[in-house]
Amino acid sequence: MPDHRALDAILQPGGITSLFQPICAVDNGHWSIASFECLSRGPKGTNFESANVLFDYVRLKREETLVDRACITTALAAARSLPPDTHLGINVHASTLGRDPGFVDFLRAAADANGVAFHRLTIEIVEHAPPWDGLAFLSMLDRLRNHGARIALDDVGLGQSNFKMLLDVHPDFMKIDRYFIEHCATDTNRQAVIEVVTRLAHRFGAHVVAEGVEDEATVRILKLLGITLMQGFYFSEPVDVHEVPALYESARTNLPRP
Amino acid sequence: MTNVHYQQTTRRILIVDDEDLIVMAMRKYFEGLGFLVDGAYELEEAQALLANYRYDLVIADLRLTGIGGVEGLQIVADVHQRCANTRVVLLSAYGTPEIERESYNRGADAFLHKPKAMMEIAHVARTLLDQ
Repeated sequence: MPDHRALDAILQPGGITSLFQPICAVDNGHWSIASFECLSRGPKGTNFESANVLFDYVRLKREETLVDRACITTALAAARSLPPDTHLGINVHASTLGRDPGFVDFLRAAADANGVAFHRLTIEIVEHAPPWDGLAFLSMLDRLRNHGARIALDDVGLGQSNFKMLLDVHPDFMKIDRYFIEHCATDTNRQAVIEVVTRLAHRFGAHVVAEGVEDEATVRILKLLGITLMQGFYFSEPVDVHEVPALYESARTNLPRP
Repeated sequence: MTNVHYQQTTRRILIVDDEDLIVMAMRKYFEGLGFLVDGAYELEEAQALLANYRYDLVIADLRLTGIGGVEGLQIVADVHQRCANTRVVLLSAYGTPEIERESYNRGADAFLHKPKAMMEIAHVARTLLDQ
């Protein structure tokens, strides 16, 4: 793959693959699927199959807008086969929201084309590379909310997902990064961070989602800390859209998938 | 979306060159020697890999774009910013004494002039990794 073709390979039809990972509501020992996060992978057989490598590369190339659009197009096309009441989280860079004035129109068209009602969408803001146009960004959030979408702040606790972002975005959901969730069952310092973020979220009227939940001990601790929305391999790895019905069956029987 | 470092069981090499054939040939050669090998074709791809995986050795072409490029120097800087133990070999068909000096100043462990036989590159790599 000569240098100039890497981005082309990512953007060509079939270059991006969408996977779906459930966000689960845990209550009294039972869990149900509250929504799915749409996750993107780059072309198979390349370095960009790793989402971290893919998006680090995209940010270094400053092509977040193009690639965010490609990921959303692919995800919503795949999501058309999901039950019509399924809520979906889609990742969007803050820089895309700040720089792409046509984003809402694009998203509306993509959602309409695939029969996905706008109110089913949660925009998960990821950000790693300021600066972007703050006013345009906030205006874009208003437009998305006016159309019925909800807003989530991804990777809370890391990088640009900081207090300023929290004040500016006033998110409906705060997703605590897996860095804080992993090992929290045995690490009281991590528990302290999670507790503070959860209290903060509740003051803002936001729901908390714990990312990277991988075992039952973590589920128990998170519940004690007041978190009921969880995501991670304990419930399911990211799956192809065709495997989603089996996930609903797992949720019905409340068995973690192997 | 936290970056995760790779759990290594074998020595890992990153080869960076804008020519497919060179990356393919070096990958095959070093895999045959028992290394785990990744290939990258442009600066940003190499930087994204360096941000996510830990390498024992990086072998990079100095020039990854058109005339006058010295992207290899940026790779040397990135490597040493992330992991001081990673060795870096720069290859160049256009290496002037000034560029070679600058490469060493920035932290390159070796600077080889193209063309170089694969065995010679592997010998340098082995020597650096055994230090």
